[in-house]
Amino acid sequence: MPPITDLSYTRGSLSTAPLNIKLRCTSWQQLASIHRRDLSRHAIFLKASSPPPLGTPVRIDLTLPTESMIVLNGVVAEHVPEGGLGGRGPGVDIKLNTLPESALWLIETALASAAKQATPSAATTDATVDDGQDLTQAEGDLHTALASELESLRKLNPFQVLGVGYEADDADIRAAFAGLTKRYHPDRFARYTSTELRSLAAEIFILIRDAYRRLGDEPARAKALAAVGARPVVKVPTLRPTAPMPAIPAAPPKIPPPPPRPTAAPTPGGTDATVSGRAPETERRPMQVAPPTLAEDIKVDFRAADGLLDAGRYDEALAVFKIYTRKNPSDRTARAGIELAEGLRALAQRDRLEAAQRFEAVLEIDPTNERAARELAEMRRMATNERRGLLSRLMGKKE
Amino acid sequence: MGSRILGIDLGTTNSCVAVIDDRGVATVLASPEGERTTPSVVAWPASGGDVLVGTPARRQAVSNTAQTVFGAKRLVGRKVNADDVVVLARTAPYRVVAAPNGDAWVRIGTVARSPQEIASHVLRRLRAIAEHALGEPVTRAIVTVPAYFDEHQRQATRDAGTIAGLDVVRILNEPTAAALAYGAHRVSEARRLIAVFDLGGGTFDISIMSVENGIFEVLATGGDSALGGEDWDRRMVERMADEVFDKTRLDLIQNPVALGRLREACEAAKKALSVEKETWIRLPFLAQDQDGQPFNLERKITRDEVERWTSTELARVDEPCRRTLADAGLVPGQLEEVLLVGGMTRWPAVPAIVERIFGRKPSKGANPDEVVAQGAAAYAGILGGDDDGAALLDVTPHDIGIKVGDTGFSVLIARNSMLPVRARKLFATTTADQKFVSIELYQGEHADVRKNRRLGQVVLDGLPPGPAGSIRVELNLTVDVESIMNVTARELSTGKEAGVTLRPSGGLTQREIVEIISRRREEESVSASSPPRGDGGLTRVPTRELPPIKPRSE
Repeated sequence: MPPITDLSYTRGSLSTAPLNIKLRCTSWQQLASIHRRDLSRHAIFLKASSPPPLGTPVRIDLTLPTESMIVLNGVVAEHVPEGGLGGRGPGVDIKLNTLPESALWLIETALASAAKQATPSAATTDATVDDGQDLTQAEGDLHTALASELESLRKLNPFQVLGVGYEADDADIRAAFAGLTKRYHPDRFARYTSTELRSLAAEIFILIRDAYRRLGDEPARAKALAAVGARPVVKVPTLRPTAPMPAIPAAPPKIPPPPPRPTAAPTPGGTDATVSGRAPETERRPMQVAPPTLAEDIKVDFRAADGLLDAGRYDEALAVFKIYTRKNPSDRTARAGIELAEGLRALAQRDRLEAAQRFEAVLEIDPTNERAARELAEMRRMATNERRGLLSRLMGKKE
Repeated sequence: MGSRILGIDLGTTNSCVAVIDDRGVATVLASPEGERTTPSVVAWPASGGDVLVGTPARRQAVSNTAQTVFGAKRLVGRKVNADDVVVLARTAPYRVVAAPNGDAWVRIGTVARSPQEIASHVLRRLRAIAEHALGEPVTRAIVTVPAYFDEHQRQATRDAGTIAGLDVVRILNEPTAAALAYGAHRVSEARRLIAVFDLGGGTFDISIMSVENGIFEVLATGGDSALGGEDWDRRMVERMADEVFDKTRLDLIQNPVALGRLREACEAAKKALSVEKETWIRLPFLAQDQDGQPFNLERKITRDEVERWTSTELARVDEPCRRTLADAGLVPGQLEEVLLVGGMTRWPAVPAIVERIFGRKPSKGANPDEVVAQGAAAYAGILGGDDDGAALLDVTPHDIGIKVGDTGFSVLIARNSMLPVRARKLFATTTADQKFVSIELYQGEHADVRKNRRLGQVVLDGLPPGPAGSIRVELNLTVDVESIMNVTARELSTGKEAGVTLRPSGGLTQREIVEIISRRREEESVSASSPPRGDGGLTRVPTRELPPIKPRSE
């Protein structure tokens, strides 16, 4: 597993609730002892070496062996010294505000069933409660990744959100939507205890669904295509620079189609890489690229540079942008071009931190730059995947 | 692994529980007596004693009509004055009474019981069956409801689960579940448009779905939450009772025992007539006439007759089908398959009318009684992460909107919108220096808001002063995949906000649920102090009973 430290744009904190503690009961004996010693007196004891101050509000997500989750709210009521509370200290005793009767009932009936099923073994161990710290951490990481992904998706046009080319037909659109749905539908996050994860997934899914709506049939797609084509940032790397720039790209594939999203470039550790052969093909489609001459028409220059980028010749593209910037230091397109080329080069060298920062820089200079937005979204998606993979492994399931 | 989620089909007539087995296949769990479906019948024995559930309750129904409840599902989350509840109450052998909040409850002896509580007995029995079969405790379940159920009925169903000690992780629409079970075996990549026609004991649902690449997308759904096989039975009962009254002046409707027997006989006759052209109803000593002479009912009955009596019921499926097709933006010819679900689809006139409406011979699933529970179990596999090749996209079954003026209804989220969904709307104040706005949310299809069901309201006060129309409030409404609604209202100039999460009431308050639970808990501790209940809460079947009989279909 490669370290997941390369994307630095974490934003916001996960928990809005005061102090969120996850308790996972892995056995019925454990639950029984929690019930007997703690819940029956409307309190819960937690081991703690550096206890939070008295009165700190606490939210405890208690997961039963059957995976049902019960939310308990309370406050730190007492600091229990070493050996206190029948030898259970040191720790804190948390007084529970109101223990939902239905939650208690759920626990009791489940315990009763467990007792009936239990084979008569006398061993009742008072296992210490696993605090699930890793799991909480992993969920927090996934949350952060999803949040940044949502942010970058918001900058994309419907085609890019679905990861299809502008020439896509009904079946392509539906297949892309199906793939994304299997990844981002809130049901896919149902087994994680964090409800925030689900609502973030819902936000992302709504974006995906809206994109699907806008591209789902021919007339809608024509409208969406017109909207995309009307944007000035769309660069059309046409092979005949003298041809008039069409407002609506008519014939496929004049615009380099964004890579299909349900793919992943092989990550350093090779996690969940499902490469669908289309991405590299379209990315590195052989282009007859004009050499980087200093033509009088700037547009031709940029088009040529874009072509170089598409062809993976980042250094040459960089040279073109640099030459132009020297002549015209205030030109934003050229400056954005430099950052973009640097970013793509970094990405090719698997320096994701550098790449992400470069793409961010592009968007700062030119917020409408499609390519940077797309690359960033793609990187964030991969980050989400990795965190999800990690979380799944922690939960002991394959992803 | 103790993390299983049950798939439960809580039916009007029969219920069924299934689970994903270790091979990833949805499997129906049979009771220790070998029954794969459990009659949704709950009885309080006249002699006192434990509540009976399922077949034992059904067996004693004839001698204990007033305290045996069939079809509680038709009352769950309903008002006692709703048209179809009134009709049901008239011929039900048990007493339907009004709860203080106007909900339909059932009076058993001297106690009024909510349909949620009654349904919880069935759920508890299913849970016990599952725990017995799996050998481990289970607390989580997906429970199916007719697609046409509104939020109150759904919440009431959840409440029934809570009372049964079940954490209902999701409420799933029955036709969707059926399609899921049906489609799980088909790995075809090509897009298929299918209709699921689900006519059960008490409800009728029609759903149009597209299945492609493992995505089950509901395009539109509709139906009639008060149409089902029991309406066919009731027609037959009414007809028989009228005939008897005309001939003998005996009013069987006033005689609960006779009514119960007649109902059983009519249901049996309907089933026989699903196969045969004619059959006999024979009920010796059904009642006594004025002179104390026994009255025996003996009558030949033909399928044609029953079809004539029930033609209005049959015709009621037509309109929802056409409307749902139109909602999906399709014409009948575009459907590739029409799937029949529910016991009532065995009645020959039903497939016939389906064929007439859709212009296509409908196909019957392997087992219409089990397919819904299997689909619910398959969905549990999706939620649990066992199956990541499929996803389910469901829709809102009803329009959701707000009250405008006194009676107007302005739709914010149209029915058949894919979940999760979000809607925004801007409002302006209607009077100068208006202090607050109150926004009331409703669900339903009527232009007159009073005929729709109220979901709740959000009040935003402390608005800044200004002339009428100058202060603007933005309303934001989201519905998540669990049909939970979040509403926020925000005043745009100050950013002041008020929000509420709408958890429509199922009719029982939290306190009432707790009361039922604590009552249940007391009963449990009483029976726990007596000899241990090794049956996991299963209703005890008297040992002298015959060996397990084949479960009654439908």
